[in-house]
Amino acid sequence: MSDLLRAPAEIKYAEELDWLESVDDGPKPFSWRLSPKMVRLFILGSERSDGLDREISQKWFGDRSFVERSIVTLASDRGLLLIGDPGTGKSWLAELLSAAISRNSTLVVQGTAGTTEDHIKYSWNVSMVIAKGQSRESMIPSPIMTAMEAGSIGRFEELTRSTSDVQDALISILSEKYISVPELESGGSDNIVFAKPGFSIIATANSRDRGVNDLSSALKRRFNFVRIPVMTNRKSEAEIVRFRTEELLRRHSIELEVPPTLLDVLLQSFADLRASAAAAGSDDEKLESALSTAEQIGVLEDAVLHSNFFGERTLTARSLASSLVGSLARREPEDLAILNKYLHGVVEPRSKEQGGSWPEFLEGGRDAIATLS
Amino acid sequence: MSAAPESAPVVREGTSAARESTFAGLRGQLHEAAAAFAGGPDALEGILLGMVDDVDRAVREPLEIFPVCHHSPASALAMARRLREKRPKVVYLELCEDMAPLLTELRNCRLPVAVQAFASEMDGFPPEWAPLSVVAPITEASAEYQAIAYALDTPDVELVLVDRSSDHVFQWDSRGRSAPEAAGEGPAGDGPDGNGTAADEDATETALHGEAVGVEIGDLRPRFAELEEHLLRHGKVRHWSEWWHQYVELPLGDGDHDTYRQVMFLIGSLFRRLAPGDPSRVRVDEDRERYMWTRMREHLAATGTDPEDCLYVCGAFHAASRVEEFGVAGSGAYEISPRSATVWQHGLIPSSHAAIEAQFGLAAGSVSIAATEWAKSLRRTRVRPYRLAGQDGARKSRAKQTAVPAAGPEQPAATDRLSGFLGRTPALDPLDEAELLGWCVDIVSAARRAGYLASTADAIAVFETSILLAGMRDRAKPTPYDFQDAAVTCIEKDAVPGRRDVRRLVEIMMGGDRVGRVGYDSLPPLARDVHDRLEPLGLKLQQRGVRRALLDMASRPELRDCSDVLWMLRRLLPRGAARTVMGERALGERSIQESWDLALGTHQRALIELGYEGVSIEQVLEQRLRRAAHAPRATAATVLEAVEDAALYLGGGRRLADELGTRALAVLASERSVDGAPEVLRRVRRLLAHYRTSEPVLPPWIESFVKAGYAHYCTLLPTAFTDEDATTGQVAAMLGFLFSMEGLALSLGCDRAQLELAVAQSHPGDPSKTALLWAAQVQLGTLSREELRARCAELLANPLVVPAYPRYLSGFVHALEPVPGLADVVVEAVSNAFGRLPDAVLLPWLPTLIGTLRAGAADLAPLLVREAGRIFPARLAALDAWVPPWRAPAPVPVRRAARAAGQAADVRRGAALAPAHPAAFDALADLLGCTEGWAPAGAVGPAGAALLTAHPATCDALAGLLGCTEGWAPAGPPTAPAGAALTARHPGSATALEALLAGG
Repeated sequence: MSDLLRAPAEIKYAEELDWLESVDDGPKPFSWRLSPKMVRLFILGSERSDGLDREISQKWFGDRSFVERSIVTLASDRGLLLIGDPGTGKSWLAELLSAAISRNSTLVVQGTAGTTEDHIKYSWNVSMVIAKGQSRESMIPSPIMTAMEAGSIGRFEELTRSTSDVQDALISILSEKYISVPELESGGSDNIVFAKPGFSIIATANSRDRGVNDLSSALKRRFNFVRIPVMTNRKSEAEIVRFRTEELLRRHSIELEVPPTLLDVLLQSFADLRASAAAAGSDDEKLESALSTAEQIGVLEDAVLHSNFFGERTLTARSLASSLVGSLARREPEDLAILNKYLHGVVEPRSKEQGGSWPEFLEGGRDAIATLS
Repeated sequence: MSAAPESAPVVREGTSAARESTFAGLRGQLHEAAAAFAGGPDALEGILLGMVDDVDRAVREPLEIFPVCHHSPASALAMARRLREKRPKVVYLELCEDMAPLLTELRNCRLPVAVQAFASEMDGFPPEWAPLSVVAPITEASAEYQAIAYALDTPDVELVLVDRSSDHVFQWDSRGRSAPEAAGEGPAGDGPDGNGTAADEDATETALHGEAVGVEIGDLRPRFAELEEHLLRHGKVRHWSEWWHQYVELPLGDGDHDTYRQVMFLIGSLFRRLAPGDPSRVRVDEDRERYMWTRMREHLAATGTDPEDCLYVCGAFHAASRVEEFGVAGSGAYEISPRSATVWQHGLIPSSHAAIEAQFGLAAGSVSIAATEWAKSLRRTRVRPYRLAGQDGARKSRAKQTAVPAAGPEQPAATDRLSGFLGRTPALDPLDEAELLGWCVDIVSAARRAGYLASTADAIAVFETSILLAGMRDRAKPTPYDFQDAAVTCIEKDAVPGRRDVRRLVEIMMGGDRVGRVGYDSLPPLARDVHDRLEPLGLKLQQRGVRRALLDMASRPELRDCSDVLWMLRRLLPRGAARTVMGERALGERSIQESWDLALGTHQRALIELGYEGVSIEQVLEQRLRRAAHAPRATAATVLEAVEDAALYLGGGRRLADELGTRALAVLASERSVDGAPEVLRRVRRLLAHYRTSEPVLPPWIESFVKAGYAHYCTLLPTAFTDEDATTGQVAAMLGFLFSMEGLALSLGCDRAQLELAVAQSHPGDPSKTALLWAAQVQLGTLSREELRARCAELLANPLVVPAYPRYLSGFVHALEPVPGLADVVVEAVSNAFGRLPDAVLLPWLPTLIGTLRAGAADLAPLLVREAGRIFPARLAALDAWVPPWRAPAPVPVRRAARAAGQAADVRRGAALAPAHPAAFDALADLLGCTEGWAPAGAVGPAGAALLTAHPATCDALAGLLGCTEGWAPAGPPTAPAGAALTARHPGSATALEALLAGG
């Protein structure tokens, strides 16, 4: 393992990408490092029928058509906007796509309320400007500009968190595919930065933030939207949770078994809570959390770490319950009331009926709620 | 996989040299493949070679088998070509044999419609299956329609339906209706009723088949979830319809007859051999095959037809059958079981693409796409399809097209077309690029109409994306499904601006959902009758959509009949079929003007299904009311509802209402709960009011009902008061029945003592019921209003009871129903509560009060409001000086006048009258025989003493009877206490009394 806390996808899967590149004989658009089919294979994993000599693991779980649509969008001249609830794997998909296509997933602009146009276009190294005047050397290109110059994929995280004027700076980048630098002399070729073939933008947006800074229609037109839904398929969800937890355990070098029954308890309780959120009439009746898969992983991660460092080094239903309550109870009293209702209305009858880990889970949840309230 | 081995001998039997040579090459290849993948001859080889055997055998069958798949344009095209080429004399079709007479009616309809067999009177089936319904939807782009159209419109051609009858469908269904016999066959989801929005509209269309079990010709789909999953995954497609389209439909589109047959046989065999061994399903399939072959052999034997002149149209799955009866030369004596005594009705109902997709688990839009493909294939191949003469909705220009015979002289039957087909890549269709461009432009304009900001740039992007997606999915050209994905990617943004999203727009563009219509001539008598009777409205009610009908009965009295029909339809059809905009009908009420929204065309199926129940809507309504009244779970309230409906809709004769009323009486007598009391009270009141105004005498049943109800509720009253399950509202309704029907009940011979006893026996624990009991006592006169007021005051004064006071109030509010005269006390009690209860008690109770008042808004609130309006001052200015009547000193004007005159307080009322009208009193005295004059004012004497002295003989006689032996006492005030003389005379009685009083 490298000495990075979290390696970007192109480093983490460098070996796999190298190998795929070596066997890839499909047509590659622009300067892409892999052909679209190989990109899909890298993200969704290989099967026996693909006839490859080695197995490629699945890295993103979800409908195949989302990935296909995303790849095809990047091959066209529109940007890709991944939209969905928090925790549905948008950023991870964006990272994988840019790692596979241009072997660089770090050209990222993080959209915040404080993002300015400079972050998208360029800014100046002030001391150098004073010393040498305005020139290409004294210019600090933004990640997007770097991506344009390199003909690779630039990423814009949480596009809708940045203000409308900043967002609109993307319009000309996406349609004209160049950035002009009016500060430089107009005579030379220096005052315009053209994008190389292969440049595109993957933006992500949180559908919970809708209405905060709505995209203008002009910008919407330049993006293809791919909506990533919250995973509701139990089987794939179990797969993801297991996959991510194993990764985590490996990272912390923790020797701890996650019993399948507890995984079931976790999945079932999230499924129940989602169902109740769907049935809720007002925001007060549902948890603030989006109950995404990432949230589930968070709960399990929390429980695992807690059991490892403070517990008996085995994951118990009790610690899972208290981690669940701890992560999901964000508002007092609304969230606590919902969890309390859930424990008594759903878990209690179930623990009487089915037994198993449920009674202990119930116990743990009750204690956690008692501590919090 | 388990099905293969046991039947292998049958397959291999009779192998000939010629046959070996036909598929020898393929066999060899498969043998090698099996050896390579499985490492030797084993199950895999058995399956692979078995498949070739199946194909071989089916191809060699002298009676030509034509394998089809449902909603497959390729099947339909191949069928049309084959029929023109072969011109068979007999067509055997895999369709329930009892549906045959209906097929000719198809020409009056616009497809898709479904042939329906329907039975509500069953015999030998579990009652919870009722009503039984089987539907077989028929679309234009299907092989079966080609066969039907050919056979019905060509002289001397016979169409024989050979599949098991609708009755057998249920006979062989050993499980519940929840899992009908094949995966593709299932009851369609019951969508919510449409009320205007697009989503609801869609839901109504998917529910067009109602709860029927669907049967389909050529159900061809892997019966093995893993196999299907595998095929989808490797085909890089999302659902089965797409797989079929991509891998079978398109490649087969232009294939010749032999290729078509062999490929279909192969697929049928593959799915059959890889089917899991669900024994009941396999058994049903095999029974059906036995049934069909037995029927065909019977027909061949009876008519002496040459099998060469026949064509057997069946699903590819059945073509690979391995039952003994298979083939003209098949052995086995299958005995067809007789049908049950169930009475089956047959008819055509409208269907729709969406309904077919929903019923048979196909992907949304797939049937529409099949229809589009069919039209396209017709244009391209210039094959002339068959169409029933006079088919509704026929396209006109068909005649101009010249038929190109698809094939020349018939080729020798069994040449191996499979090997080539399996190894070939599908050819590109020249129409596609132009077509795709057209689609891109169309979807952009459709999206714009639906509110999207789409432009030409989007059309270009969709085109580009479709091609890229197709390339990514290893397809030579984009399929409609790729196009759909591309359109969603490029046009759909973060929100859907209108009612339909891009996916739905593409579906609509691809032909959309088509909804069939059954023509007037094919409608059952009832539906025709309804349309005839509604003729005066002058609306095109057969067409889909909502029509507004305006009925002005004042100026056009003939519309009254229409109005009657509409009200009955409103009662019988689902919501939305006939909806009133203006006008109402209740007992004794008729509107003179009505306005209706009618959607009979949209709800044609419901109307047709009514036709199975009877020949006129009156008859159906009568049956339904009877059935409701005699249902095992009928309550007095539901039976009374039926009575009310009978009186309301079938006004004319009282016969049915009387019959149902008698039934209500019987049901009431057997009821032991009071749950329905409020409903019963309301309905009986309404019916009584109706009969009192409209009939010279009350019907005997309602008199008996009131009588029985009085006794019934008297009996149940004490229990209901204490029973926790009986709500205050229910008890109030019981009391309401008892008090408001009392007059009638007593006149019919009931005894009031029964009610008094029942009330006396009631000892409720619940405060609200206690309040109700007090109200009842007030009504009965056993409790005075002053006492009631005093009790309320006590409750308020006692801090321990105050928290429960609101519940007493709830009881009082409910008591308004049985004892409306108590309104002033209730207003007083409520006012006191507001005035004196602490907020902590009052505020939590307010919602309950509002809830109670809202529930009884029609009855209770006006009463209370009117009373409050009477008591409270009407103007703000008057409020300061206002004193509530219950706080004001008691106004007793007469008594005050008497006191003013200085008379003794104990003068009886009326004494003042006597001196004022002396003449009247003299006359009265004469009548009574009082001969004395007027007594002086203020004289006090024992009343009656004067009478005694006036009539001594009477007095003596009475004394003799009582055993008084003493003479007359002297007049004057008594010296000893009365009765003392008696004790002296009867010492025994006195001692006994003393002992009793002393508590001994």
